[in-house]
Amino acid sequence: MLQTAVAPLPEPVAGRIPGNKGIWAGILSEMTEFALLFGVYFIARAHYPEAFREGPARLSTLAGTLNTVMMISGSYFVAKSVHAIRQNRQQVSLRWLFLVLLAASGYMVIKAIEFQWNVSHGITGGMNLFFTVYYYLTFTHIVHVGWGMMGLLWVMVRTGSGAYSPADHDGLEAFASYWHATDLAWLVIFPLLYVLH
Amino acid sequence: MMSHEKLIDRLWLLLVALTLGGAWIGESAEPGLAVTIIIALTMAFKGRMVVDHFMELKTANRTLRNLMRGFFYVLPAVTVLTSLFGDWLARLTTL
Repeated sequence: MLQTAVAPLPEPVAGRIPGNKGIWAGILSEMTEFALLFGVYFIARAHYPEAFREGPARLSTLAGTLNTVMMISGSYFVAKSVHAIRQNRQQVSLRWLFLVLLAASGYMVIKAIEFQWNVSHGITGGMNLFFTVYYYLTFTHIVHVGWGMMGLLWVMVRTGSGAYSPADHDGLEAFASYWHATDLAWLVIFPLLYVLH
Repeated sequence: MMSHEKLIDRLWLLLVALTLGGAWIGESAEPGLAVTIIIALTMAFKGRMVVDHFMELKTANRTLRNLMRGFFYVLPAVTVLTSLFGDWLARLTTL
């Protein structure tokens, strides 16, 4: 008889990798993409300091603040979902994931209202470089939240069908790591675009 | 010692409070170097808390932890440096 048993992969010497290696390739690509866009922001700010001083005052601080609360809360809810699955509480974990979906949907609705508000106040991407950078950064972030929501629906189905256990929930952890990274990008966007005058 | 779950419960409230404080600064404070430093430090702190405790990298892979923590050293620092040396950066990046 052939021995088909495979020894488990050893833990990396430098420590545990949350989720899996694949998601971290994605997360580090995402962070690199945002780092480049932030680089563009700083260079544009250096060239057009007046536009960047005046720009944030024309945006809706309320929309930016509410979306920050949505991102931070989504990040917290998914961390709670991971905790619940570690305690073998699938239904509780799924309920936290519903709250993540609520926060993500709230973010999308607020963004849509904000963009409509911008249009009604005559704010377009072509006004000056501040608003060009604002639309580039926020649209890129929306795309990442969109990818995340698709991943979220997948892990909700998996959690609902009992696919995760305290011993095996790498998929849920991978999604959680991605969602936290998307939150992190917003934690830079909010002060740079809405707060810093 | 506080459990990890309790810690993230409290961190959530703290991060939301800091966000509201940041919005208040943006709306009411006179722009200046001190305000820029406060905004940069808040950005650094919030990022570090998410990286260490929500992402749980504090006790995970060293390389990932350093890369993600590095993001929140570099960007707040560049925020302050751009405010201090914007003219120099503009000259350096003029084609």
